[in-house]
Amino acid sequence: MGIDFFIGLFLATLIVALFTARLYRLILWYSMNSLALGILALMVGKSLDDEAMLITGVATLVIKAVGIPYMLKYFSEKFHFVRQIQPQIKTHYAIMLIPAILVFTFYLSEPITHMVEGNANYVAVSISSLFLSLLLMMEHRHVAPKIIGFLSMENALFLLGITATGGMPMLVELGIFFDLLMAIVVMNLLFHKEEEVRS
Amino acid sequence: MMATLLILPAFAMFLVSFSKHKKAKYLLTVTSFAILLPIVKLFWLPKPYAIWGEYLVADKLDTYILLVSSLVGIGVTLALLTLDLHVKISAKSYRRFYRFFATFWVGLIFSILANHMGIYWIGLELATLSTVYMIKTNHSLAAHKEAWNYMIVGAIAISLVLFGIILMYASAKPILGEDAMRFDLLLQKAQDIPSPFLFEMGFAISTVGMFVKMGFFPMNLWLANIERASFYPVAALFSGILESAVIVGFFRFSEIAMKVNYAHLFSFIFVYALLTIFIVAFLLYRAKDFMRLFSLSGVEHMALIALFWVSGGTFAALLHFGAHAFLKPALFLSTGVLESQGKYHIAGALKGYVGKRGKLFWFTVSLFLLAIISLPPSPMFFSEIYGFGAMIDMAKKSDHILAMIGAILLLLLLLSIIFYRFVTVYQSMKYEGETVEKRVYTSEILALLLFAVCLGFLMTPASFAFLRSIV
Repeated sequence: MGIDFFIGLFLATLIVALFTARLYRLILWYSMNSLALGILALMVGKSLDDEAMLITGVATLVIKAVGIPYMLKYFSEKFHFVRQIQPQIKTHYAIMLIPAILVFTFYLSEPITHMVEGNANYVAVSISSLFLSLLLMMEHRHVAPKIIGFLSMENALFLLGITATGGMPMLVELGIFFDLLMAIVVMNLLFHKEEEVRS
Repeated sequence: MMATLLILPAFAMFLVSFSKHKKAKYLLTVTSFAILLPIVKLFWLPKPYAIWGEYLVADKLDTYILLVSSLVGIGVTLALLTLDLHVKISAKSYRRFYRFFATFWVGLIFSILANHMGIYWIGLELATLSTVYMIKTNHSLAAHKEAWNYMIVGAIAISLVLFGIILMYASAKPILGEDAMRFDLLLQKAQDIPSPFLFEMGFAISTVGMFVKMGFFPMNLWLANIERASFYPVAALFSGILESAVIVGFFRFSEIAMKVNYAHLFSFIFVYALLTIFIVAFLLYRAKDFMRLFSLSGVEHMALIALFWVSGGTFAALLHFGAHAFLKPALFLSTGVLESQGKYHIAGALKGYVGKRGKLFWFTVSLFLLAIISLPPSPMFFSEIYGFGAMIDMAKKSDHILAMIGAILLLLLLLSIIFYRFVTVYQSMKYEGETVEKRVYTSEILALLLFAVCLGFLMTPASFAFLRSIV
């Protein structure tokens, strides 16, 4: 029951993020998305008695729900990001497009969901989240929301790892976190250079 | 011990890159040479050799790819010595370039030697992220835009690879548990995978991610645009090293997919590669500058390697891979010299090189240009002959021999368009335009000679015997 609630919350935060037109609000929804993911990892880890998943759950909460949103907000202030980020897809079209993506991905993932252990709908939600994150990247012109789209995509893949496989090996999870931090370092450098190019 | 030896030169390079001493750039090149030593030692050790438990295991395939990549790395660092004489680059950017080059090497070692899908992905992601900044060392708006473009498209491609890995892992986890990430065990138990459809879905998604990263259909131009916008050593690194890390993943995954369902694998790769070469041939025909020309030609060659590999022509694929890995960086590095008199000046680009160094330069560039279009005795010529032979042999075992001959004829037609374009470019470079005196530096000549020697060595009977013994 609790897992169903948080997986619903994960999807809901992503859908709301697709309609958001303000950068800080988008960062907040990303943080909420990561929070739901972290709690999910803790709940699944506890039910499976999987210590590695509990550790990755805590790391998700610390790095993705708090650390990365804080860094993004810090970058946005430091490098003066455009904060009015109107999505390129108009709301009335998005209202039709998002359910269409959800239905399509549930239909698309139907043959896969029969083959994985655990709740089949969770895998379908993970795959829909992946497509919705791609939509988030596509519907914005500015770099910052595109980065949040990429980070949301990484969250969707993490959710797929939890639901389809009962958790990936610990080493891989930690490696992915390391790469994510490396991505933040590279983004910081790119923003620095953007300032230099502008000046 | 071996893991430390492999990573130590990259670590030393990272540390040296902080030094502001004028001579530090020579030390950086020396550290690049130091990378080769443990790889040569690894080359002679009995295979498979466990470097880090079951996570990093050296076999003949990955040692060959690592050796080729390290030689390319040396060539690129030699050419980097004179980068500031051809383009405007600050000392700070130059040092930072090396810092990310060292990180790139660590990622590369992990991805090439990985016996674990997860480690492979982590290494590839690290190598991809570290190249983002290298693009940005060129302080232009175009490079800045393309660095972000690479960051975003590269991230999507790499996410697709991870998506596929998760599905493949899920398909084999019921029989292998957490070891379902290991390439060797997956290969052994491929026919026992309980959900082959799930594995194939995962393989297809991962392959699309890897192909997008290499500029296959439908993303044929993104890599060419990035290589155009960045400094020429970056393009050389992309074509000679980063693509090697990507293709080694394709080799590993496809070896398993072949055992799961060979017919599905072959049809998928065959159609994808053919479509890519079809589009690239016409894009090449319209290319108006060296960078795009060589970049698109790289896509064509990677498509051919994938095609030969899945057709059972593993020797042809590996020979083609080696030849491409040496030829393409050599041509990209030459571009840096050719374009120093102004971009896009194809006419007369090979004229005006005087003195011993100048003559050697235009001669080696001419050889590389003619070798890349598979003129004999280029290794490309032999690999294509063996590759098409493997395709025919494969078709003989099925009822599709006529369809295969038709497909090979179509491929030859498309390759002849590329051939025609390159010959036109070469003639324009050699016989048209004005003669303006141009300079080429010793380190650049050394880099080109290194690539020429490596190509010559690739053609020896010993190399052929080694390549045949890999798979």
